[in-house]
Amino acid sequence: MSASRSRRGYLTFAMACLLAMALTCAAARNAGAADTVSITSLIEDMKKYDNRQVTIEGEAIGDILVRGDNAWITVNDDPYSRRSIEEGGELVGMSNVGIGVWLPADEARKVKVLGGYKNRGAKVRLTGVFHRACAEHGGDTDIHALRLEILRPGHPFKHSFQWDKLGAFLLLCVAIALLWYWRAVKRRKWAKEE
Amino acid sequence: MILRPTREDLKLIGWGIGRVILGVGLIMLVPLAVAVACTEWNTVLDFLVGIAACVAFWLLMENTCRVRGRDLTWFHGLIVASAGWLVAMVFGAIPHYLSGHFPSFLDACFDLMSGYTTTGLFLLQDLDHVSNGLNMWRHLLTYAGGQGIIVIALTFLFAGTSGAFKIYASEGKEEKLLPNVVRTARAIWMISLTYLAIGSVFLFVSLLVEGMTVGRGFLHSVWLFMGAWSTGGFAPQNLNLLYYHSFIIETITLVIFVIGSFNFALHYAVWTRRRTEIFRNIEIRSFTITALITTLILAIGFSKFHVYTTLTEFFRKGFYNLISGHTTTGNSTVYATSFYKEFGFIAMWGITMAMAIGASACSTGGGFKGLRMGIFTKSLWGDIKSLVSPESAVVREKVHHVKDIWIDEPLVKATMLVLISYVVIYFIGGLLGVIYGYSPSVAFFDAVSSGSNTGLSAGLTTPLMPSLLKVWYIIEMWAGRLEFMSVFALFGLAAATIIGKGRGAKAR
Repeated sequence: MSASRSRRGYLTFAMACLLAMALTCAAARNAGAADTVSITSLIEDMKKYDNRQVTIEGEAIGDILVRGDNAWITVNDDPYSRRSIEEGGELVGMSNVGIGVWLPADEARKVKVLGGYKNRGAKVRLTGVFHRACAEHGGDTDIHALRLEILRPGHPFKHSFQWDKLGAFLLLCVAIALLWYWRAVKRRKWAKEE
Repeated sequence: MILRPTREDLKLIGWGIGRVILGVGLIMLVPLAVAVACTEWNTVLDFLVGIAACVAFWLLMENTCRVRGRDLTWFHGLIVASAGWLVAMVFGAIPHYLSGHFPSFLDACFDLMSGYTTTGLFLLQDLDHVSNGLNMWRHLLTYAGGQGIIVIALTFLFAGTSGAFKIYASEGKEEKLLPNVVRTARAIWMISLTYLAIGSVFLFVSLLVEGMTVGRGFLHSVWLFMGAWSTGGFAPQNLNLLYYHSFIIETITLVIFVIGSFNFALHYAVWTRRRTEIFRNIEIRSFTITALITTLILAIGFSKFHVYTTLTEFFRKGFYNLISGHTTTGNSTVYATSFYKEFGFIAMWGITMAMAIGASACSTGGGFKGLRMGIFTKSLWGDIKSLVSPESAVVREKVHHVKDIWIDEPLVKATMLVLISYVVIYFIGGLLGVIYGYSPSVAFFDAVSSGSNTGLSAGLTTPLMPSLLKVWYIIEMWAGRLEFMSVFALFGLAAATIIGKGRGAKAR
């Protein structure tokens, strides 16, 4: 009796611990999400965030432009950064939203795959100081970060072949052949008349 | 009496447009080659469909519209130029639309017209993930559009036709550099291709120094050159010039678009060793004066806002965007929202003014043009001098543009007609924007930007903007690029077809 009661007590205690841990994790996760600011918010309210530490998350796209010990990378956090149109993502009625981040070159090199036509770029998390008009970089709007965290590595993806376009092309080829034949007949007729 | 165009008139116009569209199809071979080289097979299909559609249309026009023994008149030339641009927009938009980056064909047409007219506004979504083939097409069409689609067609497809000059002049380029218009068209290409080679090399080396890889650096250098030289302002990445964070790239593109905005006749004069023309030319003088005035306005505006405070910041964020606007380029080193949030009212209207004035006549640029500003100012000055001179005094003013041009009544009238037309399209565009709920500064900024073929945006031009505004901006870009005369002729043709009388071709 007492053994089973103590076992139940242990179980209750273990469950309470698990619940507490889960709640702590969720809270930490939420706190992290709350810390992250969207690039749109930064651009729309530059004055508010000027010279403040911010955290952004998004897809590293384009190029890593190494300048000495540091480098520039561009991070987008628009809906296409989650799934680009080339990957089958939906058109959402907006252009890309991104920002240049200045960080140590070694950190930038952690990004192995950058977003583009054939690749989904690495999803990164960056914490740094936002500048509305960076004095060091001729007034650029940028973020100076010290550390880059890879949340998900990038990868190349395959485009599925679009057979309907091939069909349209072949149909147009048939039309061209017929029109060409018509032209030749007309030319012969004109030549005879002349 | 308005004469109705005959069936033969319409056929000749159709035949001419067919040839222009074949030219569009031929240009698509370049992005097709790039797509093949980059193994972008879906993009290859987009261009194959586009080219096949252009060839099919050309053959159809050849078979149904060819009129033996007749050549194009001025009237036909005007219509071929104005309608040719519209039809070229539709056919050129095929690869754009097939790429899947546009929700509607209207949006694809918007980007095409923006490219051809070297405007630079775009509705393409997810630019940072587009293929190299499509990016090449975007930049090539703005480069080709800068020389004039008709110039391309003239170079290859209209050789030997005496009506060639009529379509050439109808595209807003009255000046013949050489006695033969086809040779003039080829000279324009020669100048542009030489600059392409030189400018791309400078940009390529700079991009490598700034950390780009060889392959991407090569493509970006060609694209950046095309965007800047044509005063189109397209760039391969969504952040435009801000993507590169580079003083040297900004300086080189600044030089390229300033040179690109000069009149082709001036280029030719300098090429043929008449270098003093640079200092005497009315357009250069006009551009220098208006650039100085607007720079001053910009400086006053910046001093009120205290955002860009150092000389470097003023140059890279203020002067660069101002001259980009003045040359009607549209390359930008700031976010669209920065124009009204960081620049402030005065600086923003300074740039709007610079865009409205625009670049040189017979160049890749748009706007009122320096020549017209010069003629307008000189004629105004002449009127003031007449007022204060004795009644018997004869006051005559002249401007120097390659040669001395005396200012007379018909010249002033023609100049004023075009100036007023620009003001009207700017105003209607701005008013429409205000009616749709945008702030006047933003609405007029984007309206002037599209009408002057600039391409800077304060945030109004997005894929979600109202369709009516998209259509109006297409009209603005088209009419502004063709400098109205050809557009008036097209409307005249439509009116004559409906209400005209008799058989007009012979009378005309």
